[in-house]
Amino acid sequence: MRQPLIPDMPDAGRGRAAVGLRIPALPEWVGVARLATAGIASRSGFSIEDIEDLKLAVAEACNCCIQNPGSGDVEIECVVDDRAIAITVQRAGANGGGPQSVTNDISPDAGGLGEFLIRALMDDVTYAFDRAAGTKLVMTRSLRT
Amino acid sequence: MPRLASENGSDDRLDREHVRQTFAAFVRDRDPGLRDELVLAHVKLVRYLAVRFANRGESIEDLIQVGTVGLIKAIDRFDIERGVEFTTYATPTIVGEMKRHFRDKGWAVKVPRRLQELNLAVNRAVERLSIELGRAATVADLAKELGASDEEIIEAQELGQAYNLLSLDSEVTSDGDLKTASLMDYVGTEDVELRLLEDKANLQRAFEVLDPRERIIVYLRFYENVSQAEIASRLHVSQMHISRLQARALEKLRRFLKVE
Repeated sequence: MRQPLIPDMPDAGRGRAAVGLRIPALPEWVGVARLATAGIASRSGFSIEDIEDLKLAVAEACNCCIQNPGSGDVEIECVVDDRAIAITVQRAGANGGGPQSVTNDISPDAGGLGEFLIRALMDDVTYAFDRAAGTKLVMTRSLRT
Repeated sequence: MPRLASENGSDDRLDREHVRQTFAAFVRDRDPGLRDELVLAHVKLVRYLAVRFANRGESIEDLIQVGTVGLIKAIDRFDIERGVEFTTYATPTIVGEMKRHFRDKGWAVKVPRRLQELNLAVNRAVERLSIELGRAATVADLAKELGASDEEIIEAQELGQAYNLLSLDSEVTSDGDLKTASLMDYVGTEDVELRLLEDKANLQRAFEVLDPRERIIVYLRFYENVSQAEIASRLHVSQMHISRLQARALEKLRRFLKVE
């Protein structure tokens, strides 16, 4: 298909796995993304509290993609290893442009309150939105032991 | 995206400008009236965040309350000179306050229990509904019956088992070990001897504050269990005198150990 959503995480730890999910851009599908995230994160040893945070962040990112002008499905890719999780959530732009070309990080308040919340929950967040190119959020959180 | 103020762009800008000016005035004057105004202007943010944390086993009202405390802290500490939007600054503070609330409430135990209870309820409801409906229950049936979301039902079914609490009597076996032990066997207890050892050491040092005669009296009375009359005859003094010396010695020991 296309190139992978996330390039390999540099300096990856052990047990690296990448899981992708594609859901219709409708609110009723966001729960599926939350559940998948919970399952993936629990395999990496994240605590229950961390998993709740990750689910919340993914749901907000999906909402962001659904509410911004765009077309097609929402794609979620999680890359985990024994130290961190990186989650990319993206959707093509209004005229079907690929989200890969979205590079501008128009933070901090372009994404509304959802983005503030994601930034409060995750270690590192980039949010990019362009009417033609689409929406793309990349967020990471490391495993605290 | 939900906006802090109105969805309309120009109004939004006006509101933001107004909030900015109010902040500038508040930082300058510390007027409680302005502070109230700022709190009210951002209550929506607290509500927005509270709704998102509401599935973790606390009521929205409680979350709004602790979140508002976070908001007030953020307003009091906000530094307009730093040039960041207030919402950027306030969100982590409010989220932090809510999370602290979960932690204080023993949240780490609570969520698994919530799921576990739901897991049990799901199992019971599956049986009941299957009979009532005359067909296997769907997730949607169960969600409606139990007042939970589809997601929670699936999660409870999937993860409920993983969160089961272990009984202290549950068996712990290692490979090739015929003898089974219960988890209880691995729970430590307080070593009473250890405490005595410490007391002994303290007492030994305390004895150094006594003069030789007092030391002999305490030793005979409490270690050898000799009566006061017997001690009196051994030391050729009256029993009354022994009684006084003993009282003084014990007082000295008490004072020394209290200071320690």
